[in-house]
Amino acid sequence: MMQGNIWISLNPLGSAQSMTLVLRFQIRPSYGRATFAPGTSSEQPSSNPQFRGLRVILADDDALNRTVTKKLLEKLGCEVTAVSSGFECLSALSSAENSVRLVVLDIQLPEMHGFEVATRIRKVRSRSWPLLK
Amino acid sequence: MDLLSQLRGQIADFSAFLHREGFVDDQFTQLQKLRDESSPGFVVEVVSLFFEDCEKLVNNMAKALEQQIVDFKQVDSHVHQLKGSSSSIGAARIHNVCIAFKTCCEDQNRNGCVRCLQQVNHECIQLKNNLQTLFNLEQQIIAAGGSIPAKQ
Repeated sequence: MMQGNIWISLNPLGSAQSMTLVLRFQIRPSYGRATFAPGTSSEQPSSNPQFRGLRVILADDDALNRTVTKKLLEKLGCEVTAVSSGFECLSALSSAENSVRLVVLDIQLPEMHGFEVATRIRKVRSRSWPLLK
Repeated sequence: MDLLSQLRGQIADFSAFLHREGFVDDQFTQLQKLRDESSPGFVVEVVSLFFEDCEKLVNNMAKALEQQIVDFKQVDSHVHQLKGSSSSIGAARIHNVCIAFKTCCEDQNRNGCVRCLQQVNHECIQLKNNLQTLFNLEQQIIAAGGSIPAKQ
């Protein structure tokens, strides 16, 4: 189990497309901090035991961003379900039961704002859950 | 020098040119690194998506700017989308024009916006031609029995 703290810091200019993903794994002290930043990091994404088989739901209404982010995550070894709306995200989660470990949400989603999706997920999943916005 | 080496040299020079002139930045290199045996057409796919988007957005922006009363918020949201997707694929010049374009929208400067739109259009055409040249060179390498270099 991961049991790490996962959060996202947005680009200071407020652009939802400029994402810096910082993952910290508390129970693996030798791992330290891994930073995967599309466009800003010189680190090459490579399949990683931490991510292998990790089931992820990616929600982004922009087809291009969705394609690129999905590929980045798959390159890390994740199994990605890509959806384009908050509603699709919630229904994908309910059909996946407990196997999804990570949700990556674009903040600006049609019809349902990313924060609202996150709130609804939290209500359904009572235990503390790694959630990425 | 055999054909393959010649082509590799050409593609290396051309990639260096694209980076030097700011047509693409490191994000484009990152995209190329994502290409593998399971998805050899990944970069072409993403780039095609981008240009489809670009065309739609440019048309929408042109229509909006032709109106008697310009809805600058709408133009701005189109520019914002283009700014985001150009950043995603590493289209640096287009991205930079979008930054200036956003300022014109904020200032409600119609002439400035029209100028920026013309620039965006110009940069899109240039990038499309340049990337087509790059992809053609890659196809030639494959046809000559080589594989696309991971790093140029």
